[in-house]
Amino acid sequence: MIHVEHIQHSFKIGKKGKERPIPVLKDLSFEVQKGSIISIVGRSGSGKSTLLHIMAGFLKPESGKITVNGTVTSDFNETQSAEFRLAQFGFIFQNFQLMPGLTTFENIELPLKLKGVSKAERTQLVKQLIQHVGLKEVQDHYPNELSGGQQQRVSIARALITNPPIIFADEPTGSLDSETEQEILALIRSLNESRGITFVIITHDDEVASIADEIYQMHDGVLKAGGVHHAI
Amino acid sequence: MQFKDQIDFVSQHIKKNKLRVFMTILAATMGTAFLIILASVGFGIQDTLKKEILDNRLVTQVEVYAADLTIDKANEMKKLDHVKAVVLRQEVNAFQETTLDKYKGQSGLLVSDFEEEKKAGFALEEGRLPNGKYEVVVGHDFAKNLMNEEEVEKFQNQQQGNKLNEEEQAELELPHYKGDLLGMEIAYEIGSYETNESYKEPIKLTIVGIAKAPAKDFILDGKLYADASLIPELEAIYKSHQAEESEDSLFYPNLNVYADELQNVKGITTSLKDDGYSVYSISEELEQIDVFFLALKAGLIFVGTIAILISSIGIFNTMTMAVTERTREIGVMKALGAKPKLIQRLFLLESAWIGIIGTVIAVLLSYAISILANYILPLIVGAALGEEDFNELNVTFSIIPWQLVVIASAISIGVAMISGWRPARKATQIDVIDALRREL
Ligand SMILES: Nc1ncnc2c1ncn2[C@@H]1O[C@H](COP(=O)(O)OP(=O)(O)O)[C@@H](O)[C@H]1O
Ligand SMILES: [Mg+2]
Repeated sequence: MIHVEHIQHSFKIGKKGKERPIPVLKDLSFEVQKGSIISIVGRSGSGKSTLLHIMAGFLKPESGKITVNGTVTSDFNETQSAEFRLAQFGFIFQNFQLMPGLTTFENIELPLKLKGVSKAERTQLVKQLIQHVGLKEVQDHYPNELSGGQQQRVSIARALITNPPIIFADEPTGSLDSETEQEILALIRSLNESRGITFVIITHDDEVASIADEIYQMHDGVLKAGGVHHAI
Repeated sequence: MQFKDQIDFVSQHIKKNKLRVFMTILAATMGTAFLIILASVGFGIQDTLKKEILDNRLVTQVEVYAADLTIDKANEMKKLDHVKAVVLRQEVNAFQETTLDKYKGQSGLLVSDFEEEKKAGFALEEGRLPNGKYEVVVGHDFAKNLMNEEEVEKFQNQQQGNKLNEEEQAELELPHYKGDLLGMEIAYEIGSYETNESYKEPIKLTIVGIAKAPAKDFILDGKLYADASLIPELEAIYKSHQAEESEDSLFYPNLNVYADELQNVKGITTSLKDDGYSVYSISEELEQIDVFFLALKAGLIFVGTIAILISSIGIFNTMTMAVTERTREIGVMKALGAKPKLIQRLFLLESAWIGIIGTVIAVLLSYAISILANYILPLIVGAALGEEDFNELNVTFSIIPWQLVVIASAISIGVAMISGWRPARKATQIDVIDALRREL
């Protein structure tokens, strides 16, 4: 479903004129199977988020090629990239990244608005999903009135609402306590099973990584297949 | 994103920053209202002036000047298209004296063609137009020129006892002929300017009509209007008292052509000019006034635009702050799949909204101020000048035609969108990764 081929990237650091490149991703290649959960685990600063940003089209790789569902996405321009994200991807962030001025309902509705879905259809879709992820009671709450776990549920619902085939999650449980973490991971697992959504999960936590079908180790910009498997 | 949802999005943000947006709209409103009011004064003065001119002058009249204006030439002009009348008045250019009974006056005499005068709108208050060469019409104030030396002297002696100041003296009306005029016979004499004496060759004239008072009440008409057939007799008297070789003419011609309608004045003016005449018509004056006022109004609009530009700094500030504050939210929107075009449109909509609301309020406010100014200013000015009849002048201080509204709105909304342009561009260039990294 996703082909990552020979991705290289470096950041330029230092003062203007005296910049020097720091390689962050060093010739990465791997593949994500349709309907699977993969996790990329590694120490902080190893380049995991950078890889996700490149896969999602937030960042252009210096070299290499990304193919999603047969479409080469790595040389899209900004507009094409945005269109593709809206149609194909969902996102879950560590900090939830909800709109503070919007209620639970409105936050989940936002991607449908961007897609130009009619009001009536939006209301119906959001109502269904809110029921499904257990946010009915807090649908008129603003993000600052919700717990961390609830906020992450809202952000998962927002990622799901457009029914994308792929969801990217960058440290989805990084801001949550361990009990809530288990709840969220269970939700991800069940969504993968019930809807066949492909998940790409990035984490520094081996335990979180272990829910995946396939685990990659990121170390100093180099990716290795395989990892510590925990019993679930 | 549907347009309705875009509007929702924008209004939500505006509601969140009510005070800031309100202040920005206030500045935009003030700038635009300033422009409209300023320019409306230009429109008002122009309108007042035009009305004044059209009211007080014969608008279809074309004054013609040339070295030798003769009856032949006047007859030529009658053949032009759309000419209603050609009036050739010849005024006597010499010392003149009129005697009625024991009263004497120095009224000027002019000869004309009454057929043409009638067509041009010459109106009588009483009596009829002259039929023969010894019949005349007199001006409305003719009697005021007729005085008796003894009566005047007696009157002045009386007044000396009254100790009047200069102003009051000037207002005193000297005693003059008060009797009937119609049917009276007068003796008309010409003479020499050098001696201020008549040649003692009176012509007996009968008053058959009294002309209507001139439109402007401060103009006195004490003239004698006689028929052109009197010319040879007057000229004979004049010539007999002049030196043989003298080329001086007794008459001073004055020729007016009248168009049938205002819109045809221009055509007549042009063809007379082509024939080599110097002409003057009200339509030309109106044209010059229009050009002058076009420049004046453009200048006023320019000055007003500066006010709008100043208010646009406020819009620029507000929008820049809005973009900076919402950097993280914009980043999230982009991450979710909002196209840069959409982000730009949302912010342009917001600045346009500020511009539109500011303009709408400004237009309403301007109309209110304009109406109020036209109502109150005449009262204030009238009171300050102490002139009760100031209102009769019918001065319009401010007029807001729809064209002014269109121009001002275009400038105001245009400037609002231009000043929102850079912040909107800035919003599209926000980097998703940077924005997501921001603290909440
Ligand atoms: N915009 C940037 N400019 C310079 N260096 C960066 C930038 N973004 C990330 N880096 C560096 O790249 C490396 C990898 O970062 P990141 O992908 O965020 O790591 P991880 O997500 O695994 O913690 C880090 O050393 C980080 O400091
Ligand atoms: Mg990271």
